Amino acid sequence: MAQLGSGALILALILAVYGIGASIVGARRRVPELLESGFRATYGIAFLITLAVFALVVSFVRHDFRLAYVAARSSRDMPLQYVISAFYGGQEGSLLFWAMVASVLGAVALYMHRHSDRLLLPYMNATLLSILTFLLLVLTVVSSPFRLLPVAPRDGAGLNPLLRDPGMMAHPPLLLAGYASFSVPFAFGMAALITGRLGSDWLRAIRRWALLSWAILGMGLLVGAWWAYHVLGWGGYWGWDPVENLALLPWLTGTAFLHSIIVQERRGMLKVWNLALLLATFALSIYGTFIVRSGILSSVHAFATSDVGHWFLVYLALVLVVGVGLLVYRLPGLQSERRIESVSSREAGFLFNNLLLTAIAFAVFWGTNFVLFSELFWGTRVSVGPPFYNQVVGPLLLVLLGLLAVGPLLSWRRTEMPLLVRHLRWPLVAGIVVTILGIVLFERAWAAVAFGVVTVATVVTLQEFWRGMAARRRMTRENVAVAAWRLLQRNNRRYGGYIVHLATLLMAVGVIASNAFQVERQFVLRPGEQGHIGPYTVVYRGLDDRRTRDAEIVSAIVDVYRGNRFAGTVESHRYFYRNYEDQPTARMGIMLVGMDDVYVVLDRWQDDGTVSLRVYINPLVIWIWVGAVVFVLGTLTLFWPQPVPAMVRVTRTLPGLAREA
Amino acid sequence: MSSAVATGQRVKRVRMDVRVLGIALVIAAAVGYLMYTGLEGTAASYFVTVGELQERSIEVDGRRVRVGGEVVPGSIVYGGPGEPIHFQISDGSAVLEVTYSGVLPDIFTDGRYVIVEGLYRASGSITADTVLTQCPSRFEATPQAATNATG
Repeated sequence: MAQLGSGALILALILAVYGIGASIVGARRRVPELLESGFRATYGIAFLITLAVFALVVSFVRHDFRLAYVAARSSRDMPLQYVISAFYGGQEGSLLFWAMVASVLGAVALYMHRHSDRLLLPYMNATLLSILTFLLLVLTVVSSPFRLLPVAPRDGAGLNPLLRDPGMMAHPPLLLAGYASFSVPFAFGMAALITGRLGSDWLRAIRRWALLSWAILGMGLLVGAWWAYHVLGWGGYWGWDPVENLALLPWLTGTAFLHSIIVQERRGMLKVWNLALLLATFALSIYGTFIVRSGILSSVHAFATSDVGHWFLVYLALVLVVGVGLLVYRLPGLQSERRIESVSSREAGFLFNNLLLTAIAFAVFWGTNFVLFSELFWGTRVSVGPPFYNQVVGPLLLVLLGLLAVGPLLSWRRTEMPLLVRHLRWPLVAGIVVTILGIVLFERAWAAVAFGVVTVATVVTLQEFWRGMAARRRMTRENVAVAAWRLLQRNNRRYGGYIVHLATLLMAVGVIASNAFQVERQFVLRPGEQGHIGPYTVVYRGLDDRRTRDAEIVSAIVDVYRGNRFAGTVESHRYFYRNYEDQPTARMGIMLVGMDDVYVVLDRWQDDGTVSLRVYINPLVIWIWVGAVVFVLGTLTLFWPQPVPAMVRVTRTLPGLAREA
Repeated sequence: MSSAVATGQRVKRVRMDVRVLGIALVIAAAVGYLMYTGLEGTAASYFVTVGELQERSIEVDGRRVRVGGEVVPGSIVYGGPGEPIHFQISDGSAVLEVTYSGVLPDIFTDGRYVIVEGLYRASGSITADTVLTQCPSRFEATPQAATNATG
């Protein structure tokens, strides 16, 4: 299996180099056979890399400990699902996975667009292959997952305990797939720059692929938050850890791109900006992949430090130099066709949305890398923690939510003020009522204001749905359900987008509430004793100690009462995995009571059963996970197949027309 | 099509709304301000090694610091449940006393590289409110475990 895998990777590398040559020569000399051969090289590479992944997974399942990578990450007593997911648990495997996602999606993109964007595709292919060449070079020369040990150990070391969790089976692959899949829109963008075909015809293609990467990355972030909440035990879901931040960065710029590309489609503006965002998003994806490997930033995720970091740094520099160079070279062709006429126009709204998102991305980038900057410029190493991000990003997010409330009501070019006022009237009233109620009921004014803004945005979004449905029903006399369905189906980009907005608002409610109203207490209890926190009483019943095949589990059993009513029993665990006895891993006891999460962390314990428990009351965190589900559904509606507009259809069947136009 | 639009534009040149630029500047200024105050405030902390900290002890007295070092083997005093934990960290030569009363990270143990953050007093100890472990090989097997497995 090891020979099969490494052989496949070397073959893929040779094919990739050939494919770049074939595509470029074929495009310049206009040799269709060479171009076709270049495409087939990519299909072949996708197959070969998938074969290598298959070989690695089979080695894991067969416990082939001759492979250093398998021996370091799995053991015979691990359950099968973790043996398989161990394949992306380390650097070599995760890079291999990256390469697989990029090559397979790239091949699919080539196949899907083979008739529509013929002039763009050779260069798109070449760009994609250059990315793959780099990865394959790293995978064959620097860190091969198929390196053999001189002597095969009898059993492997087992997977790091933190990764033995259902959340961790989904989080790394989603995140890596998100990073990797940005290669496809990036390749389209570079192809547009190289060929100088800077019109809007390729935008449809690029938007779908960017949307896909963005959705995958978003889900990866959400699953990561869920995992952190259940395993890491500081009572939160987002810790502003450098690696989390770096994964958030391409998602933020990607979000900005998905909004601003609408302006380019409709109004022919922001062309340079869009390509710059695309470049930034891909560069940040590379940066996120690379910094994790480099050990430069201190993080709870700090992976193995290795020389792969240098390779990524050089590659990143190359991407930026070539990307920015091409962008500058094509500047004359990227002039805006129109200007922003009014501050109340929809395009201005999108522009502000973009400014805010990139500002947030900039602040997060700055904070994450501040240790490096401060050493470079001031000679002292100064780092920033969560308070910095909360102070800077919090207000910006609130303004962004405000914009989310107004944005859907703006018209292109110029919004008639009386119309805006009429549509904003009731949502504003609702928002003000919520804010006043909030200030009266809670002590924290900022939370009240934030809830008010969320209310305005929610009412506006729902009102948009209602207006759309009412318009349909006047025309067609459909019932409410049919009207809602058809509305979403016919205009999925608009109303699917609103569903994603609603998901964001749901999550915002959870984030605001859990930040403002989290309660935390530490208890030292003997069996049978109780502690009080907020309206809750926790009764500690005792410790439980049991063994499974690969671990010893210590659990504290706690009954939770709300007032006098028994709400349920939670267990908070500590796992001691074989080979990792000095790294006990926690599984929090979390119970949903009404809208509150009662979150119990087992801190320390003594032989007589005395424990110290840390208990958090996290209100409305469940809204975040509900929002996450809505987010997934909303993004799915965005992929609803849509009929191709007539204009595009004509240029597709008559390619000559496109050139004249 | 694009050329037709371009000529149309040349005839009817619409000026950009300057208010757009104004709002963009306001956003940029607000971000700059927020980041500046964020860094000036308590959000930032000096990131030093134990040796550097003690060299500049007077300068950083009473400030937030973030110190990295290895836990001195045998120095961890847990106390009972609920009592603070005492331990020492070291960069090889200098040693720093740490008091911490929170939940310890999962892989906290002798010899582990940790980053503690909290208020520094020149008297020579630090009361930490966060302890981060940074295992240089977090997602790899520990060397000890690996040798166990091979042996």
